[in-house]
Amino acid sequence: MSVAALAHDAHGEVDQLYLETRELRLQGFLLFLVSDCVLFSSFIFAYLYMRNSGQGWPPPGIQRLDVAFAAWNSVVLFGSGATMHYALENFKHGNFMRYMLLLLATIVLGAGFLGGQAYEYNHLIFGEHVTWWGSGIFGASFFTLTGMHGLHVFIGVCYLTVLVLQSAGGVYTRGKFFGITAGTLYWHFVDVIWVVLFSIFYLL
Amino acid sequence: MNPGTIERLGATIGGIIVAVVAFYALYKDWKSIGVENQVFKLMLALLGLGGILALLAALNVVGFAPKGS
Repeated sequence: MSVAALAHDAHGEVDQLYLETRELRLQGFLLFLVSDCVLFSSFIFAYLYMRNSGQGWPPPGIQRLDVAFAAWNSVVLFGSGATMHYALENFKHGNFMRYMLLLLATIVLGAGFLGGQAYEYNHLIFGEHVTWWGSGIFGASFFTLTGMHGLHVFIGVCYLTVLVLQSAGGVYTRGKFFGITAGTLYWHFVDVIWVVLFSIFYLL
Repeated sequence: MNPGTIERLGATIGGIIVAVVAFYALYKDWKSIGVENQVFKLMLALLGLGGILALLAALNVVGFAPKGS
């Protein structure tokens, strides 16, 4: 069934404005994601440049990051990407209850990832004395990039919470759900950025 | 079982599940058209890659693990 056939509002009337502006809003949102990608890329390339121009890595006095906990925490975030994808699919197919459950699971997993990141920060700062301000390039780049990503995850969790409230209030219908599509795109973007950060900080 | 082993076990199982789910979703969406679906396909492929990387990290194939973890 086409979007046009489904684009009715809550009262069953065709929403012309939605149909006319949907593509435009999608392009605008994708441009926003591209601009965010540029922001992360500039920090990532700066980190890689500094890393490769120094005398070995990590700098003397700093241990390499343990990958076990990071792998577990990454799986929590990647799992939330999968639940978000299937939340959108279920909404498209009219399974509202399953959509809500998957959306809530995504929020819980996203919050779990943030909790894991807070735990790791706590361990690094108070256990190994690696800080943003006192550990040179390593500390500055690690905390800047992972902190910026964590902020994105936090914003995403807030956005998905708003989606839950809006969905419960009947804001979205089967033909009019751009907010959910945008939320899914954003959440996937946050996941993909973490694939890169996980690779450069823990695997390289 | 020490915490490191539990984390690795969780990451191994989770990595397999995420990779399978992501690649299955990609397979199901493969023929879909439209800009947003192309973006979703790219994101799902990278999500699957992330699952595999987490799995390899959990199995000690890539990354660093202190002795005893």
